[in-house]
Amino acid sequence: MIRGIYAIMVLDLKRVWIDRVRIITGIVQPLLYLFVLGAGLGGNVRSGGADFQRFIYPGVLGLSLLFSAVFAAIIIVFDRQVGFFKAVLVSPLPRPAIAFGKIASGAAQALIQGVILLPFAPLVGVHFGLLSFFEMLGAMVLGAVAFSAMGVAAASRFTSTTVFPVISNALLLPMFFMAGALYPLRNAPHWMQVATRFDPVAYAVDLMRGAVLGQYYFPPWQSVLVLFGLVAVLGWMSVGVFNRGEDDSILGETKIKWRR
Amino acid sequence: MSLAATSSSDAGVPAVDVTGLVKRYGTVEALRGIDLEVRQGERFALLGPNGAGKTTLFSILATLRSPSAGSARVLGHDVVTERDAVRRSMGIVFQEPAIERKLTGRDNLLLMGLFYGLRPAEARRRAAALLASLGLADAADRATEKLSGGQRRKLELARALVTDPRILFLDEATLGLDVDARRAFWDHVRTLAASGRTVFFTTHYMEEAEVADRIALISAGRIIALDTPRALKARLGGGVISLQTDDDSRAREWLVARGFAPEGTGPELRLVHADPAAIVPELLKNLPVTVQRVEVHAPSLEDVFLKLTGRGLAIAGGAS
Repeated sequence: MIRGIYAIMVLDLKRVWIDRVRIITGIVQPLLYLFVLGAGLGGNVRSGGADFQRFIYPGVLGLSLLFSAVFAAIIIVFDRQVGFFKAVLVSPLPRPAIAFGKIASGAAQALIQGVILLPFAPLVGVHFGLLSFFEMLGAMVLGAVAFSAMGVAAASRFTSTTVFPVISNALLLPMFFMAGALYPLRNAPHWMQVATRFDPVAYAVDLMRGAVLGQYYFPPWQSVLVLFGLVAVLGWMSVGVFNRGEDDSILGETKIKWRR
Repeated sequence: MSLAATSSSDAGVPAVDVTGLVKRYGTVEALRGIDLEVRQGERFALLGPNGAGKTTLFSILATLRSPSAGSARVLGHDVVTERDAVRRSMGIVFQEPAIERKLTGRDNLLLMGLFYGLRPAEARRRAAALLASLGLADAADRATEKLSGGQRRKLELARALVTDPRILFLDEATLGLDVDARRAFWDHVRTLAASGRTVFFTTHYMEEAEVADRIALISAGRIIALDTPRALKARLGGGVISLQTDDDSRAREWLVARGFAPEGTGPELRLVHADPAAIVPELLKNLPVTVQRVEVHAPSLEDVFLKLTGRGLAIAGGAS
C-alpha cells in the first residue's frame, strides 16, 4: 500500500519535473498572487493598512494551494485519454493506493508552491515563531491534501480535458471568495456566513490565518476534523471510481476498419 | 512473480476459462453468451471485425470491466472476485499506447515494476534485462515520444513482461505497424510462447491469426467457430475454385443445374469444393462456355469467416 502510493507519487512528480514550463509557472504563480493581489488589495483598503497585508497572506497561500492542488489532478483526465492509466488499472496496485497516491502527489506539488511563499512572509509583515511556523506548515499540509482530494475526486469522474477545467473554475472561484480569504468573515452578510460553513477552503484558510494572527473564526479542532473528514470521504469516493475501471466510460470507439 | 515461483498445483487449470459471458451496455448486448477455454501454453487468437465484442471480452479478462452475466477465470482466478490474483498473473498490451510519452523507456518499465510491487532495485534490474532482450538498450534513455512506432510497440511488450507473467494478452498489438516491425514483434511473441507462456491475442490481420494454435471467430458478440486454423479452413471443404469465363451467367446456370453452389457476383465465379483438383478437369471439359482463367486455392481464414457470418464470398471475390 505504502509502496503503491510511493510508486504513483514517483510517476507524477517525475512527469512534473520533466515539464520545465510547469516548474517555472509553478514558482512564479504564487509570487504573482502574493505581490500583485496583496499589493493591490493592501493599498486600497485604508482601514487595515499593513494589518490587511498580514490578513490576506494566509488567503493568498490558500489560493495558491487550492488552484495548484486541483489542477494537478487534471493529469488523471489526460491519463484516461491516452491509455497509460489502463496499464495502471490492470496492475495489482491496490485501488486505495492509486487514489491516495494521486492525492498525495497533488498535495506535494501544491505544497512545494506554497512553501515558496514562506520566505516572503516578512515582506508583508508576517513573522513566525517556532510554534506558529509549524502550526502554519501543519495547516498547509492539511489544506493541500484536502484540496488535492477535491481535485482527484472530481477529475476521476471526467473524461474530457476541456470540461474539467471549466467546471473546476466555475466551482473554485466562488469557493475561494466565500472562504473569507480576502476579507474577514465576521463582517460578511449572514447568508455568506452560513454558506461558508459548507466551504472546505474556509476551514483551511482559517487554520492558516490562526497560525499567523492567533485568531480563529472556526474552532481549530473543528477545522481539522472537517478537513480530515473531507479527505476520507473524497478519497473513498475516488477509490470507488478506480474500482469500476472502464465501466464508467462508454464503449470505446475504434478508428480502424475491419480489413478483408 | 516469476515462472519458477508459481506453484505447480494449478498446472492443469485452463489459462482462460469463460462460461456464459454476457456484457450489456444499456440496451446494447456487446457479448451474448461467450464460452471458451484456453489451455496453458497455447497461442490463442480471437478474430473478428470491429464491434464484434473482441475488446469488450478483452477488457473483462483484463479486469477493466465487469461481466453482466456469466463468469470468466484467468489461470483459475475469477476476474471479478479475485481481481488482484488475475492482475498479478498477466501482462497486457493494449490497442492504444499505454506508455508515458514524456518519460524514457527505462523509467516507464521501472514504474511498472513498482506498480507490480517490485522493490526499486529489483525493478531497475528487470527493466535493464528486458530492454536488452528486446533490443531496446540504445533507445532506453530517450523520451518514448522520440522513438519509432516499432520501438514503442516493443516497449509496450516489455511493459507487459515486467513481472514475467504466465499469460500474455495482446489486443491488436501490432496495429498501425509496417510489415517488418510486425514481423519483429511477432518473433518476440513466438519466443515468449515457446518458453511456455500462454498468449491470448486479438487481431484482424488474417496472417497474424494463422500463427495461433487455435482461433476463435467472434461475430456480433458470439463465438461462431473455435478450432485450429487448419481445421477451420477444412470446414469449407478442400478448396476454392475461381473461374472466369466469357459468359458467367450461362456458366452459373449450368453449374447450378448440376448441383454446384457458385458464389460471387463479381468478375469471377467461386466454387467451394471438397476436392477441387479432381473436378477442375471435368469442369473445363464440360462447361458450355469458354473458360478464360481458372484458379484453385486453399481457403483462407477470411473465406471461412465470410462463409460463417453469412456475408457470402462475393465481398472477398470483389476485393481479390
